[in-house]
Amino acid sequence: MSDDREILRELWNGQVPVHFVLSSDETSNMEAPQPYFVLVPRQTYFPLCLDKVNRHFQKYTTQTAAGQEIWLDFDGTPLRMHYPVGVLFDLFAHDALLPWTITVHYSAFPEDELIHLASRDAMESYFMSTLKEADALKHKVTIVSTMQKKDHKQLWTGLLNDRFDQFWAINRKLMEVSSENPYFRYIPFRVYQADKSFIQKLVKPVDEEGRRQTLADLLLQVFPDHQNRKVVIQGVKMSPQTPLQWLSEHFSYPDNFIHICVHEK
Amino acid sequence: MAAPGSPVSDWKYDIIQQIHHRNRVESASFKPVFDAYGKLFEFSDSLKAQNTQLNLYVEKLKEENVRLQVSGGTGGSSASDPRAQERIATLEQKLYKLQEELTEMHRRKGENAQQLIDMKNALQEKERLLADRERRIQDQDATIYGMKLAIKQSEAAVLELERTNQLIKDEQQALHIAYCSMEEKFRKMANENEDLIQRWLRHKADEVERMNIETENQNRMRQRSLQRDIIEAAKDPVAVNLERLLGHDDVPMMPVCCVVIPSTAQRKFEAHDAEVNAIRWSPSGRFFATGGGDRKVKLWEPSPSGAEPECRGVLTGSNAAVMAVEFDPGETLIAGASSDFAARVWTLNDQRLRHTLTGHSGKVMACKFFSSSHRVVSGSHDRTLKIWDLRSRACIQTIFAGSSCNDLVCYGSQNIISAHFDKKIRYWDSRSENAVNELLLYGKITSLDMSPDSLYLLACARDDTVKLIDIRNNQVTVTLCADNFKVGCDWTRAVFSPDGQYAMAGSNDGTLYVWNLKTGQHDNVEKTLKEHTTTITSCSWHPQGNQLLSCDKNKKVVLWSDM
Repeated sequence: MSDDREILRELWNGQVPVHFVLSSDETSNMEAPQPYFVLVPRQTYFPLCLDKVNRHFQKYTTQTAAGQEIWLDFDGTPLRMHYPVGVLFDLFAHDALLPWTITVHYSAFPEDELIHLASRDAMESYFMSTLKEADALKHKVTIVSTMQKKDHKQLWTGLLNDRFDQFWAINRKLMEVSSENPYFRYIPFRVYQADKSFIQKLVKPVDEEGRRQTLADLLLQVFPDHQNRKVVIQGVKMSPQTPLQWLSEHFSYPDNFIHICVHEK
Repeated sequence: MAAPGSPVSDWKYDIIQQIHHRNRVESASFKPVFDAYGKLFEFSDSLKAQNTQLNLYVEKLKEENVRLQVSGGTGGSSASDPRAQERIATLEQKLYKLQEELTEMHRRKGENAQQLIDMKNALQEKERLLADRERRIQDQDATIYGMKLAIKQSEAAVLELERTNQLIKDEQQALHIAYCSMEEKFRKMANENEDLIQRWLRHKADEVERMNIETENQNRMRQRSLQRDIIEAAKDPVAVNLERLLGHDDVPMMPVCCVVIPSTAQRKFEAHDAEVNAIRWSPSGRFFATGGGDRKVKLWEPSPSGAEPECRGVLTGSNAAVMAVEFDPGETLIAGASSDFAARVWTLNDQRLRHTLTGHSGKVMACKFFSSSHRVVSGSHDRTLKIWDLRSRACIQTIFAGSSCNDLVCYGSQNIISAHFDKKIRYWDSRSENAVNELLLYGKITSLDMSPDSLYLLACARDDTVKLIDIRNNQVTVTLCADNFKVGCDWTRAVFSPDGQYAMAGSNDGTLYVWNLKTGQHDNVEKTLKEHTTTITSCSWHPQGNQLLSCDKNKKVVLWSDM
């Protein structure tokens, strides 16, 4: 379906304007650090696009901060960089003024809130493991483990270099369903709320009677209190009637999870 | 593709719209700004990097510079660097070359110094030569100057000689003309002679006849007269002298008082504004006249008291120097010869110019009254003598003398004697065209004077002698000279004393010489009178014999008198 294809591409093309500033604690007394502006793809992760930022701000940092791991915060909240950028944006800055102003830190790493993920290899392994988890949820026989090493690499480099076609050539296999079994086993998803850890449950795309489950059904399972909440996926305010199977196929992030951000009304 | 309207398509459509909106809001609006920013950032970064690199490079270069300076300063202490070593090697090579050049230069300098010394020596030598040359040139210049002077003198001499030559040529030409005319005459005469001889031969026979008869008669007559003479001679022997004296009607009256030669200069005065050429007492001795180079003839009357003579008149009209003056025997006229080729006659009473006798083509040197007061004879440098008639105011005769005439005298009624440039005295008879006689002396003759008894001539010549000439035999009888007697000019006049016993002439040195003519050849200087300072041109003896006049070239006239 060309519509779906268009949606996939548009989603992939989504970018967030980010305004990086160096924390006033980090600056040396020499001169005020210049801010750094960049459009960051929604699908990627911060560790993959912080090289330039890091290089830029290293100049202004004090001697003690040099060489230490970079971390970010928004409005006083440390950002978990193993979440995709789009998720963090939707979660914290959905209503904020653009561009998204992020403060860069080097010292005083909040050990109790963040995990060390600065290196690219660590990010890759985390990504791959998330991908495999999603695959395991979706299919009985995991497709990822049947893939060759180079396919894994192609997925990662596709994401790394922002290559839609390269990524989707492999990812398509993970999204495929057969005609006799047109649904995933479970829908891999995570529900995020501000200052709370995410919620993950086993939800099937169809119920026992064979009816297709919608987003509303999923939310009902996650939040049984029927409270009216605003649901944002990939920056889009999603209608509750959206079928889960379709949602999973088209609105998943590269790690094949649907990251759902929920805001209290 | 589901049509819009179906519930499935609705939410999909809504999603697509939302995604579009999301992208538009979140990325599309920021994309150009952020792209530009990224480019600028990268550009600035690269520039920064380049800058740092350049700074680094500069630093490095500075460092290297310093290092090189240090290594240069310490003279190759950083020998470890091969490039430096190489450079040092080349530098050392250069240094060696330069030192070699320096040595070469020193050597050349030495050579040059030697050359300089040699050149200096040569220069000095040359300068010495030059000085020598200059000295010689100066000497030669002096010689040249001397030679030029000599040339000038020689030229002057040549000019003089040419002038003389011209004069002689002219005379020669005149002589030639005279010769031609004479030849013509000679031919005529020869013819005449032929004729005469014929006649003479014819007459001869008759004459011989007659002669024989005559001789017969004469012999008889002589016999008779001899007898008578012898008788008379025995009677009275005294009357002979008186008879002889009376027989000469030409001789003027002898002076009354005897001649005394004065020895003092009574007066010396300036008579003219230029040289005084002629001076002459009047026949009576009351006046004297002077002729000067200032073109005037002046009449003077000597004061009896011995004061300065008074000027009685100035006779003008002459256009050049007056060369001679002459009174007529009656003392009514005065004649003057002038260098303006004319002779003039003034009357004494009213002192007016009566006659201007023009016709000569040279300056007139002498003019004399001739036989009576109405005739004048003049002698000129144009080699002619002219006889003038004052009544008709015309030249009545021209005598071609053949040479410039300096002076002349007349005697008798017809005879003229002229003194000439060609050292000759010529005797003329006014009735014939040719010279009757002539006498050659040893110098140009400047003056003539006739003795009172008309028997002797006094001729002054440029060989510094005065000759006394006996007219009768045309011979020099006495030569008067003196050691310091020099004839000063071509018109120096020598004169007789009134009694004919003395002769007087002025010398070049201003001395007036008086010779005694009776004492013989030697030691005959009677007196020398010295008052003039320059050449005496003319002198005159008072008719009474006791006063003398002399004049010189320096305007002065001296009156000598013992009274």
